[in-house]
Amino acid sequence: MKDLAQYALGALKKAGADKASCSISKGRKDEFNIEANKFTLLRTVFTGSLQLKALVGGRKGVVVINKLERENIDEAVTNCIQLAKAAAPDEAEDIAPLVENKDENTRKETDIDGLFSRSKEYLEQIKDEFPKILIDGFSTYSNSGEVVYANSNGVCFSCQKQYYYFNSMFVGKDGEKSSSFNYDGAYLAALDKPFMDAGMHRRLLEEAQGSLNPRMVEEKFTGKIIVTPACDDMLWDTLLGNFLSDRPLIEGTSRWKDALDTAVADKKLCFRAAPSNPLMVAEPFFTPDGFLAQDVDFIKDGVLKSFALSLYGANKVGKPCAKTHASNFEVAAGDASLADMVKNTERGILLNRFSGGSPGASGDVSGVAKNSFLIENGQITDALQETMISFNILEAINNITAISRERVANGVTILPWCCVDGVTVSGK
Amino acid sequence: MLPDYLTPNKQSLKDHTELRAQTNTSKRVAMLAGNMVTNSQSEKGGVAARVYRGGTYGFASGAEYTPESVKNVLAAATDNAVFMDTRIRKGEPPLPPLPNGKIELCAPIFDDIPQSVLIDYARVLDELIAKKYKNLTSRTIIADVLYKEKLVAVSCGMDSHFFQPRSSVYVWLTSETSDGVPVELFKAFCHVGRFDTFFKEPQELEQEIDNLYKALMDKREGVYANAGLKKCVLHPDLSGMLSHEAVGHTVEADLVLGGSVAGHNLNKQVASELVSMTDFAHTALGKPCPLPVYADDEGTPAEDAILIENGILKGFMHNRESARHFGVKPQGNARAFEFSDEPLIRMRNTAILPGNSKLEDLIASVDDGYYLVKTGNGQADSTGEFMFSVDLGYEIKNGKLGKAIRETTISGVAFEMLKTVDMVSDDMAWEISGYCGKKQVMTTSMGGPALRCDMNIGGR
Repeated sequence: MKDLAQYALGALKKAGADKASCSISKGRKDEFNIEANKFTLLRTVFTGSLQLKALVGGRKGVVVINKLERENIDEAVTNCIQLAKAAAPDEAEDIAPLVENKDENTRKETDIDGLFSRSKEYLEQIKDEFPKILIDGFSTYSNSGEVVYANSNGVCFSCQKQYYYFNSMFVGKDGEKSSSFNYDGAYLAALDKPFMDAGMHRRLLEEAQGSLNPRMVEEKFTGKIIVTPACDDMLWDTLLGNFLSDRPLIEGTSRWKDALDTAVADKKLCFRAAPSNPLMVAEPFFTPDGFLAQDVDFIKDGVLKSFALSLYGANKVGKPCAKTHASNFEVAAGDASLADMVKNTERGILLNRFSGGSPGASGDVSGVAKNSFLIENGQITDALQETMISFNILEAINNITAISRERVANGVTILPWCCVDGVTVSGK
Repeated sequence: MLPDYLTPNKQSLKDHTELRAQTNTSKRVAMLAGNMVTNSQSEKGGVAARVYRGGTYGFASGAEYTPESVKNVLAAATDNAVFMDTRIRKGEPPLPPLPNGKIELCAPIFDDIPQSVLIDYARVLDELIAKKYKNLTSRTIIADVLYKEKLVAVSCGMDSHFFQPRSSVYVWLTSETSDGVPVELFKAFCHVGRFDTFFKEPQELEQEIDNLYKALMDKREGVYANAGLKKCVLHPDLSGMLSHEAVGHTVEADLVLGGSVAGHNLNKQVASELVSMTDFAHTALGKPCPLPVYADDEGTPAEDAILIENGILKGFMHNRESARHFGVKPQGNARAFEFSDEPLIRMRNTAILPGNSKLEDLIASVDDGYYLVKTGNGQADSTGEFMFSVDLGYEIKNGKLGKAIRETTISGVAFEMLKTVDMVSDDMAWEISGYCGKKQVMTTSMGGPALRCDMNIGGR
């Protein structure tokens, strides 16, 4: 693989690239599928990918193919150079400098029988412990392979690893009654415990089973939402996508573009990329743009400390490159227990899933509270249906009233429960 | 063009087997605030085999496509089918047979365009926008093509050769309110065919972008919607989303078996009598569909699937196995996006059918409500509960359009909300620019007329 990467780099340079990089991956994925509580499929995919990037006079071309023979690489090199020559020049385009090269091999043999046994065990546990749960779709796989990154500055990384993944989509079902579907999954380094015991999976199944008689909120009110780790996309992915990443900063639409080292959130909030945490199992130790992945504080004690910029984005806006896997993020544990957070909520929602429009640059969010429960006078009461919430995310992270001590790791993120005040809740 | 290394293997097939060779090619240029941030090509291709034995499938795929590699993936898929059958022992009989035949290429494969066509188009359009529209804080332009070529050979059913090119231009405009809050609007221009057939000169989009800019300026002055249940007029773009998200997904047979509320509503009234809905295969209302499908990846000849007729739920969308389960004929909904994907039950060209009213009459009939014009995304639920984002909408006061509203979300329960439809316009629009997500992504088209109905709207 490294030889192939060096071959591709040599060909790119020979064809006229001033700078070049190459990412190659090769591996195997074995996957079991279950639908409506029955096994349906065993799927094996022999995977391969080659991504070439060439810079010619600051002009960039990128070509991706999935065939790794030298004749395929030669053709891709020719295409890549043609693309680069046709592009507009941009001084911000670059490749990572050589700092330290590294190889890592933690790959284990895929235990296909073990994966099947865990899947079968999961179905049996559903049948025994959750008779009113129907598995709409379940898939689990082993991903095993090698990823190599090399560039013409001399950077060369190789990472061989193997991990497992499962994802289950389920509904509570009793006769003609159905709950909302919910889903949950995790990346796993080993098959050392049942899927059922991963993260908050069992809790989510219990809640789906207990959601067969939901009710709607009959009036509009302003209250708290306790955002669970299962609802990770609503707050944290939005902060990354709308305010911290390349696009909003290059466009100038990020409302935090001039906010580095200023308070942007409640002091309780510490939000960081943590790819070095051993609980993050799926990503290689290097970033797609060729840096050793580092831990980075985005928000520390409520203060904006760093953006999540790629090398290109950093050069474009004149701010530091994050050199991290931003998707491997964690929110620091707080000092409240989840039980106390519920107890201290006079009126609000325990929010497990949010179905809404992608928030725009303004940070305004509105959508439907899914798989969620009403909290009244410090008690979780009824499952909800047709209940909408709306708020502004930048205001919301300043209205955090508590963060739980408990956290959930799913192989790519580590998150607590987070309570936010000032949210508009409305039914019909 | 893909050579046929598949057919010679058909004689040796014992179980129901699908062989598929496929190449997906994409090209993309993106301009972000005047910077060419993407200039890329991707080609992913290979061969896959899926084998059905005793009620479960074995599947395998690899990137190499040669006579030898076809045999290798077939052997690997057969091993997987044996692995499953040995352990699961469902004991299901073979799938019911279908008539054999072959559907040859329905659209010719054309010479590819050079990347410079996309680059030049995106750059000129970006310059035009930057020069003409003064109140923008940013803009994003994407020029994009996706070609899918598939060759399918099945042990029993319809072999096919399929080529579908999709060419798109996406435009985002961003501005700010007087108090510095960013507002944005997006429009997709999308056609099936070669890029330069439809996108000759960027100036040809100028009128459409004028309209988008005007709408953005309206939105800049927008107000928050008043949350609650409101009388709404849905633009055809939203009724297309309604047909896809709120109804379409709930009547996919795999989701019906997975607990969808549609399961116990077959042959029941689920919508007002004004509502009829079909998943069209290749021809709709006498015209070719935006994304025609003639045979699916299981070898089923494609036919229209009638979903709702005069408000009555008439059927679901199937693959061969679910059709057997429900005792109906499969209609060609099993499709895979990449060569390494297994076929899933997918929508094709899903639409609510037009009625007899005029859009202006729908708006004039509302005393206090909203005209909802553009949507960004939508999701549905097994309960039929759905939500769509609303990127552009207007108040309706006394039958007249009022102020624009800020981004919001609408929601409802499909089979309750559809019963409130009391006016349906006589025009219709199709939307083909997006991707449907369901384990794999998939190109689909969705369409519909304008509808008057009751909707739960988010706001403040």
